[in-house]
Amino acid sequence: MFILGLDVITTAAILFIVSAGLLMVFGVMKIINFSHGSFLTVGGYSSVIVARFGLSWWWSLPVSLAIGFLLGMLVERLIVRPLYARPLDAILATWGLGIIVGQLITLAFGRSVQMVASPINGAMLLFGRPYSIYRLILVGVALFLAVTAGWLFNGTRLGLQTRAVIMNEALARAMGISSSRVRFITFSSGAALAAAAGCLITPLTSVDPNMGVPWVVGAFMLVLLSGSSLLSLAAASLLLGGAQVIVSTFLNPVLGGLTIAVLAALVLRVRPEGFARG
Amino acid sequence: MADITGLRARFATNPSAWRVPVCIGILGIILLALCSIAMPMFLVNNLIRAFLYAAVAVTVDLLWGYTGILTFGQSAFFGIGAYAAGLIFTHAGFSIPLAACALVVGVGAAWIVSRAVGWLAFYQGASPLYASVVTLVLPIVLVQGIYSGGEFTGSSSGLSGFDSFDIPIELWFFIAGTFLVLVAVSGWLFVHSDAGRLLVAIRENEARCEYLGVNVSRHKARLMDVAAIVAAVAGFLFACVQMVVAPEYAGFVFGTELVVWVALGGRGSLIGPIIGTLLIDVGGAYLSGNLPYIWTLLVGVAFVVVIVALPRGLAPLVSTAARWTVQRRRRVEVKPVEFTLAQRRDDEHPGLKTLALSLRGVKKNFGSLKVLDDITFDAKSGELLSLIGPNGAGKSTLMRCIADGSERSSGTIEIGGTDIRKLAPYHCVALGVGRKFQTATVFDSLTVGEALRVARYRVSAPSRWRRDAQLALPQPALDLLRTTGLDQMSDRECRFLSHGQKQALELAMVLALEPHTLLLDEPTAGLTKQERGQIGEIFVALASKYQMCLLLVEHDLEFVQRISSRIIVLHQGRIVLDGGVDEVVQSDLVRAVYAGSQQELKMTESS
Repeated sequence: MFILGLDVITTAAILFIVSAGLLMVFGVMKIINFSHGSFLTVGGYSSVIVARFGLSWWWSLPVSLAIGFLLGMLVERLIVRPLYARPLDAILATWGLGIIVGQLITLAFGRSVQMVASPINGAMLLFGRPYSIYRLILVGVALFLAVTAGWLFNGTRLGLQTRAVIMNEALARAMGISSSRVRFITFSSGAALAAAAGCLITPLTSVDPNMGVPWVVGAFMLVLLSGSSLLSLAAASLLLGGAQVIVSTFLNPVLGGLTIAVLAALVLRVRPEGFARG
Repeated sequence: MADITGLRARFATNPSAWRVPVCIGILGIILLALCSIAMPMFLVNNLIRAFLYAAVAVTVDLLWGYTGILTFGQSAFFGIGAYAAGLIFTHAGFSIPLAACALVVGVGAAWIVSRAVGWLAFYQGASPLYASVVTLVLPIVLVQGIYSGGEFTGSSSGLSGFDSFDIPIELWFFIAGTFLVLVAVSGWLFVHSDAGRLLVAIRENEARCEYLGVNVSRHKARLMDVAAIVAAVAGFLFACVQMVVAPEYAGFVFGTELVVWVALGGRGSLIGPIIGTLLIDVGGAYLSGNLPYIWTLLVGVAFVVVIVALPRGLAPLVSTAARWTVQRRRRVEVKPVEFTLAQRRDDEHPGLKTLALSLRGVKKNFGSLKVLDDITFDAKSGELLSLIGPNGAGKSTLMRCIADGSERSSGTIEIGGTDIRKLAPYHCVALGVGRKFQTATVFDSLTVGEALRVARYRVSAPSRWRRDAQLALPQPALDLLRTTGLDQMSDRECRFLSHGQKQALELAMVLALEPHTLLLDEPTAGLTKQERGQIGEIFVALASKYQMCLLLVEHDLEFVQRISSRIIVLHQGRIVLDGGVDEVVQSDLVRAVYAGSQQELKMTESS
């Protein structure tokens, strides 16, 4: 029971970390970034690169952030910017980008699964039961991420401008806020976050050219449920992640894998605004 | 007798409209027969698969390119058809009756799943993104189901080694090709028929369609059903010819590949997606041996470039180039639609004769904000009732509440004696309400004639396979078209109309519904003084000559004064005055409201 609770919390934390970048982009730009999955993959492979250079795993965090940010800048400029007025096309173009990135990675690293050594092995005894330390660390990372994002959003000038763009873009522009700059920064940061998330999940998952795909579908669902609020995302991660853990434990893991997608689709049918305040 | 000649005359008007695709189809089938003998075996083998994929791509084009429903789930229906065959042939053996049974099971299962998807994805007010989400979840669920089927479904490796029809590969080539030709030709006939233009109307403006009495969700769901059945048949044929089924064929990656092919070929062109699919799939088969990952990479790059820079795909480029090289010698000129007078129908709504509209205690809240508060009034046939009041008084909200049963928070609204309860807009149209939007709302890529035909959809169901050369319209709509000269422009696309013409066309579309009550939200906004006078006369005629009830929202007090028979003044969501024109215009209250002085108003209210 206690382990189950921990599983729920750590799963929610992982989902939160993986979805946060997508939420930023969707919240501000109202665009579903399906290349989120390939940014995750890029992050995963940056830990492979770091490992090849013989550096410690921890180096892969800043490396993935940097690579993700640069890639995000490029993508925003070339692909996303022309498609603001066509949100459904933006889904497709970013999905196409995912194909490109997947193939480039396959060309560079091959199709096979890459192994990355886990930075922290072992388990920790909690109330007499062993539990993976790394998963517990991810809970801390998720909290840190939430607090930092909350501060950036509510306590800085850029955050204020971002909120203005979210609420009323035309008005924000009329007041001299460069909404294209806000979007540029948002998308690049979203990409950087995605890459960092991809790097953070490497100890839990295999690294291969399509590693991002299963994650992006779940993240996409969570983000649709959460609108543009990080708090809603946390709630959605906790609820749906919890449902996933419970279904996987008590029914079967295959059904568990479907829980998020199916539940999200049903919730959105009943309540189109999801967990966001309507 | 007269009917028969009339019918013949109508058939004779646009003969080329359906003959051309049918002839091309027959030519295509003959060509297939020749190719099946002449072509190298490798190509024949690959083309069989590509033909079946292309048939599914056509359904994606119908859903996405024409109707605007971005679907990732057509692969699931293909997979259902394929697995129905694979499962039955593996577990029950192969025989002709069993094959027929498998086809029926596959199509039936696809239909049932499509109904479920339609129920989920298409409901009133659903966002287009949500429909895409549902079509994305469908293949994911299906594939996980196949994975967890163990021995029965063959799990991740799929089913293979089952028996199938013992016919030569050349014949399969012919069958698959014929299937594609049939799907393409019937698709072509449908999208170019009067009924098919509705798909484009839905893509361009769903709300306008709803308020023209079209049950958009139902149409989308039906289209999805047909697309699902076609995809399932393609999947059945695929399983029969390849004698292998695997989860990838039902998965969402295949679903997105279909979208990629359609986008590259050119969405909304039918032929583009077919060519795109054939080229990419067969090209991939040839090139992926030498350049395993480069081919997919190139397709990915081309896809992104096309989506960003050429949203209509490569088909328009090719057709433009063809037009440049081949001098246009014989353009099949489709005759413009001729407008005729519709026969007067027996009155649908006998109760409307006197009381057109009745509101009792209608309220609308946004959270704690009261936008409408206790609105109660009746309106009779032949009345021209103007709603005036300052911005934010709730005039437009009131119009919305009358035209859409789900809008108001409480209170009852009766249209011609019938309570509208929570009825959807298309239901309210059936009760006799026609609503013109505040901004001119027409369908940009439809012609004037097509747009009016969409508006007649409710009254007379259009043909699903050809175009009628005539369109019968009720007298008021005809009058309006003649006054504004739109009757001479039936083949002009709506986007080329002037603002005033768009306003007039939208009004004509609403009048084509034969409404009893007209809701007009600032119909003179942006019109010239002359157009304004013209439209004022039309309104008066509609009320006096045709005994319609007009409810008009206007800011121009002088205009209102000239044409109205009664005026209601709204202020802060309440009716503050309701009476004859002179009585209202002369009142201190109206002066106060129009001067915007809150002080005076409060004094008048309290006194």
